Amino acid sequence: MVNVLAYGAYIPVWRLSRDEISKASGVPSAGGEKAVASWDEDSLSMAVEAGIDCLTGINPKEVDGLFFASTSSPFREKNASSIIASALDLRKDVTTADFTNTTKAGTAALKAAVDAVKAGSAKKVLVVAGECMVATSSSDLEQLYGDAAAALLVGEDEGIAKISDFFSVVEPIPGPWKRSMDVFPQRFESKLDLRYGFIKSTVEAMQGLLKKHGLPIKDFSKLTFNAPDPRGYFEIAGRMGADPKQLQDPMFKNVGLTGAVHSLFLLVAALEKAQPEEKILCAGYGDGCDAFYVETTNKIEDLKRSRRAISIYLKSKRILPTYEEYLDFKRLREKAQPERPRASVVTYWRDEKMLLPLYGRKCGKCGAITYPIERCCFICGEKDNYEEVKIARKGKVYTFTFDYLYGPGFAYGESAALNPSIRIVADMEDGCRLFLELSDCKPDPKEVYIDMPIELTFRFMCERSNFRFYSWRGRPVRE
Amino acid sequence: MVGKIKDKVAVIGTGVTKFGEIWEKDAEDLLVEAVYEAVKEANVDLKKDVEAVWVGTQYHFTGMSGAIFSDPLKFFGKPVTRVENFCASGMDAVRNAAYAVAAGMYDIVIACGVEKILDYGGRGLPLTGMELHPVFGMPSPPAMFALCANRAFKVWGWTKEDLARVAVKNHYNGARHPKAHFRREITVEAALKAPIIAYPLGLYDCCAMSDGAAAVILTRPEIAKQYVGDNYATIKAIGMAVETLEPWYRPYESFLSFPANVKAAEAAYKEAGVTDPLKDLDFGIVHDCFTITELINYQDMKLCKPGEAASLIREGVTSINGEFPINPDGGLKCFGHPIGATGVRMTVELTRQVLGRAEGLQVKNAEIGFAHNLGGAYTVATVTIIGRP
Repeated sequence: MVNVLAYGAYIPVWRLSRDEISKASGVPSAGGEKAVASWDEDSLSMAVEAGIDCLTGINPKEVDGLFFASTSSPFREKNASSIIASALDLRKDVTTADFTNTTKAGTAALKAAVDAVKAGSAKKVLVVAGECMVATSSSDLEQLYGDAAAALLVGEDEGIAKISDFFSVVEPIPGPWKRSMDVFPQRFESKLDLRYGFIKSTVEAMQGLLKKHGLPIKDFSKLTFNAPDPRGYFEIAGRMGADPKQLQDPMFKNVGLTGAVHSLFLLVAALEKAQPEEKILCAGYGDGCDAFYVETTNKIEDLKRSRRAISIYLKSKRILPTYEEYLDFKRLREKAQPERPRASVVTYWRDEKMLLPLYGRKCGKCGAITYPIERCCFICGEKDNYEEVKIARKGKVYTFTFDYLYGPGFAYGESAALNPSIRIVADMEDGCRLFLELSDCKPDPKEVYIDMPIELTFRFMCERSNFRFYSWRGRPVRE
Repeated sequence: MVGKIKDKVAVIGTGVTKFGEIWEKDAEDLLVEAVYEAVKEANVDLKKDVEAVWVGTQYHFTGMSGAIFSDPLKFFGKPVTRVENFCASGMDAVRNAAYAVAAGMYDIVIACGVEKILDYGGRGLPLTGMELHPVFGMPSPPAMFALCANRAFKVWGWTKEDLARVAVKNHYNGARHPKAHFRREITVEAALKAPIIAYPLGLYDCCAMSDGAAAVILTRPEIAKQYVGDNYATIKAIGMAVETLEPWYRPYESFLSFPANVKAAEAAYKEAGVTDPLKDLDFGIVHDCFTITELINYQDMKLCKPGEAASLIREGVTSINGEFPINPDGGLKCFGHPIGATGVRMTVELTRQVLGRAEGLQVKNAEIGFAHNLGGAYTVATVTIIGRP
C-alpha cells in the first residue's frame, strides 16, 4: 500500500480583483479575485515553496525521488525538477522528472510516484506541482487563471492517507493547446472541449474507478478535480449522482484555475479539513483523466497545524492595487527594460550548494556561522576548518534601503527606478548575516523597518546571459 | 613597521582639471591638462626629469594598463603603473608613488588619476561589461551607504535634515571653487524635497557622476628646493587599510563605522604624531560620496565621539569659518566623483590649502591637514596628512 505521508501548498501573496481586470479590459467581471505570482515567481519557484511546506519536519535526505508537474515550466529543455531537488536539499542519488504539456500532469506525476513506490524503486517520492499560466490580456482565461503550487509526499510508511489504484482514460481532445512557440493558450471551440473532454473524461475516469473498487459515490466525503473552465464543474456532480455538497470548493473565486496544480491543490484542501477514515475522490483532467481516491487514517490530525498549506496561505494575502502592476508582474506590458550586465553561469554552477539549498559555513575554531562559504573564516580567519551548515530560514532586518538605481537582480540603468529593489541586511536566527532583496512588499518605511521579522523565500533572481537564475530572497513572515 | 615617510616626500607640483560633464574632451585630453598644469607648477621637464608614474583609474573604458598615461603624454620608455582600488584608486596611486620616492628608487615621479564616467552614459556607476556573479551582486553605491543612514537614524536619532546640512555646507564651499562641477548653493528645504535615490538618501545626498583628472609631482624635499624654492609641502603620513567588499555578510558589522577608516586614520595619526586631530590639524578633506558618509567619516577620523557627528554639522564646527573646516573645496558633493581622479584631486587641494593658494575658499592659517579617500563598500580607506615642511 502506498500512502500520503505529508502535504503542502503555496499561494503567492498577491491577489487581483476580477473587477479590476474587468475595469481595464472591458470583459465582464467573473467576480472574486485570483492569486497572482510576484514578478520573481514562476512555476518552479512556487513548487519549491510548496515542497518546503510539505517537508516541514521531514529530513529531505530521506526522499528518493522528485517529480515536478506543470504546463508552464520556465524551461523547454532543462529539468526544473533538478533545480527544485537541489533547492529542497534532496540527495544527489534521487530520481527526478518533469511532467508537462497537460493539466493532467499533476495526477500523472502522482501516479508515477505511487507506481515507483509500489514497484520498490523508491521509498519516498515528493510530487510538486507549480503553475504560473499566462493568458492574453482581455481574454476570458485572463480572469480565470490563478497561480499556485501543491505538494504531496508519498511512500510506503504509514501515512495520513492511503492511496488507491488509479483508473485512467485518454482522449485527444483539441483544446486548450499551446504549440511550442505559443506563449498564450489557444482554443477553437471551448464548448466542445468541455462536453467531450472535461465532462466526458472526468466522469468516465471516476466512474471507472468506482466500478473497479466497487464503491458507491456516497462513500466519498469529497470530490476533488480540476477543470479547464468553471462551466461544467457542478455538472459533474449531477453526472456522478453526487450531492453538490460533496464537491470540494474549487476555489475559482479566490485562487483561480491552476492547471496541472489544481487537482492536487484541491486534494490538499480536502485533506486539511478531513477527519480520519474519510474517502476523498480525486481526478486530474487534461487530454484524458486520471482518477484515484485516498482514505485518511488516524495520523491525519498530527499533520494539521504543522503545515501552512492552503488555509494559511489563503488568508495571508495582499491586494495588487492596479491592473498595470499585474501586467508588469506577468511581463505583458511593453516597458523600457533595464540593462542587465552579463552573469557567469559557471560561477552559478560552482556555487550551487550556497545558492540553491542555501548552505553557509560554521567555523571549526570560533564557531561563527557565515555566508557565503569561503575557505577562511570571516571572523577569525581560520583556514579550511569548517562544516557546511544549512542557514536558518528566519531572521530579522538589521538595516535596509530601497535602491532606485540598481533594480532587483542588479538591473540598472534609466528604467531601473521603475522597479526599485528593497535590500536588507538580515540577522538570521542562527547568527548568520545575509544580504537579501525583499519580495512581497512595497518600498515604504512603514512596511520595511529595522527589527522587522522576515523569512526566506525561493525565487527567480534574474535572467542574464540567456539563463534563468534562482536563489533566495526575503519576505515578510506569512503565518 | 620600521619605515617612516614623514617629511621624506615633497609635493612640488599640483594640477587639476575642471570637474564636471566634460563631453568635448576624452580621458587622454583631461590627463594631459592636469599633468601639464602640475609640470608647470613644479618647473620640471616631463620627459627629462620624471622617472616613473602611477595612474589611478577604475573603469576599463577610461583606459587600460600604463598606456593610459604613456600614450596621451607620449611618455615612453619609463615605468608606468595603473592603480585600481575602487574609489580610493587615486590616493593609492599617490601612496605608491610616495613610497617609491621615500624608498629612494626615484627622484621625481608623478601620481595622477583620471576617469571619464560620462562617456559611458546612463545613471549611476556603470556595471555593464563586468562579468558579475548572478546572485552575489553589488547594490548601487548610494544603497550601500543608505544601509548606514537607516542604522544611524535608528541608533542615534540622526535625521534627513542632518544629512541635508552636510550638502548645504559643501555646496556653500563648492559654489566658490572655480573647478567644481556644481557651483550653486542649496537649501535644506531643497535637499529634503529632492527625489529619493536610495532611501533615505535623496538626490542632494549623493555626489554626481563627473569627469576629471588630477596630478601631483612628488620628489624628496632636498630636491624640491631646486625646482620650487620653498613652495612645497611635505607628506607627514599615509595610512591605508583594506577590509571587505561584502560587509553585509560580516556578522557584527555595525554599519555605523567603517573599520578601514578607523585603521587608516589610526595609522596616519600615529605616524604624524597626531593625538587630537582637532588640535593637531587645521582642517580636513573627507570622502563625502554621500552625506551620511561625511558624518560617519567625522567619527572614524576621531573628530568626535560616535553618534556626535550630527552635532558637529548642526553647530557649524566643520563649516569654512568653523573650528575645523571639512571639505573647504566643496568635496565630492560639488566636484562629483571621477573615480580614479578623486583621491589625487584631494591631495592637490590639501597641498594648495597648506601652501595658502587654494583656488576656492582658503582655510585661514592652514598649515597641516588631512585628506581621506574611501572606496568600494567601505572597503578601502586611505588617509594622507600633508603640511608645510
